[in-house]
Amino acid sequence: MKITFKVYRFDPQSGKAPYLQDFPVEVTPGMTILDALGEIKAHQDGTLVYRRSCRSGICGSCAMKINGFNRLACETQALLLKQSVIHVEPLPGLKPIKDLAVDMEIFYEALARVKHWLINPDPPPTDKERYQSPEDFKKIEVSTSCILCASCTASCPSFWADKNYLGPAAILKAYRYSFDTRDKGFADRVGALDNKHGLWRCHTIMNCTDCCPKHINPTESICHLRRMTVENKY
Amino acid sequence: MRYKWRTGQWAFVLHRVSGLALSVYLVMHLYVVSSLYQPENFNKVMAFLNQPLFKLLEIGLLGAVIYHSLNGIRVGLIDFANGTAKHALIFWVLMAIGAVIFIAGAIPFLHHGGVL
Ligand code: SF4
Ligand code: SF4
Ligand code: FES
Repeated sequence: MKITFKVYRFDPQSGKAPYLQDFPVEVTPGMTILDALGEIKAHQDGTLVYRRSCRSGICGSCAMKINGFNRLACETQALLLKQSVIHVEPLPGLKPIKDLAVDMEIFYEALARVKHWLINPDPPPTDKERYQSPEDFKKIEVSTSCILCASCTASCPSFWADKNYLGPAAILKAYRYSFDTRDKGFADRVGALDNKHGLWRCHTIMNCTDCCPKHINPTESICHLRRMTVENKY
Repeated sequence: MRYKWRTGQWAFVLHRVSGLALSVYLVMHLYVVSSLYQPENFNKVMAFLNQPLFKLLEIGLLGAVIYHSLNGIRVGLIDFANGTAKHALIFWVLMAIGAVIFIAGAIPFLHHGGVL
């Protein structure tokens, strides 16, 4: 089946405004949006820029807005969208660098603000690692499968409106560590979370949860952290 | 292409719009009520408010109150009762309840206004 891909093109050096360029592609069953982009790059326009690495939903680099919805290009089969025209645009809310590649700087910066690593001042045991029981791991298991694709943060209307907002991905990471039984870092994170660019900026619009390719529910983690924050205060 | 509007986006925007409408109403309401202390004034204002337009606005007010309170319950369930995964279902159940209350409430309004 022939599908027309309307691909967002932008080259800051050209001085031209961004525009959508049509690329007809013969799509076969099983072909993903990423495959189609590869087809375009190989046979129609070698200057097309997009990010990808693993091609199997693991690295998180190919997230983009496909027909008005953030998804992984490598996990989205073109025929399953059931459209003869498919819009392929960069993640919204982040600055486009070139074509489909966006500047991820503020996304990573938000992660650093919540200290997305294990914090525990006690020295680890010398003869083994810090063990975690399977039951304790279960509590945070879903949140550990985040691939940092930024689909969620880039789908969040609160983030579009406030680029200082941590965004669902960073808050999910804060949750993943703060609810890890080996972690004692909540006090170090709460400053970044408990302000108007943190937990309270979320208006439970749920775009993040709707689009997460790993079926994670960042909104749930935001609500958990809100309660933890309030309980810690009073 | 504009980002897809899902249930959560609609619910949020309607919540803001109904909230703003209710705030504007509240100010107008206080203003009108504060002018009612004289008997002549009272009758004049009441006659003015008896126009069909105000009946319709009253029904709109009823809708805004119902929506804003029911979605407020939904937001509470999301925040306090782990309602995130079921937020869309909660939305539609509450809206069904809201529709019943709205119809049941609008009929007496229309009766009074002489429309029905
Ligand atoms: S929570 Fe989901 S959408 Fe957000 S960055 Fe992680 S994997 Fe991507
Ligand atoms: S639920 Fe909160 S964090 Fe997620 S998209 Fe909506 S406003 Fe953003
Ligand atoms: S290319 Fe790695 S997630 Fe799509």
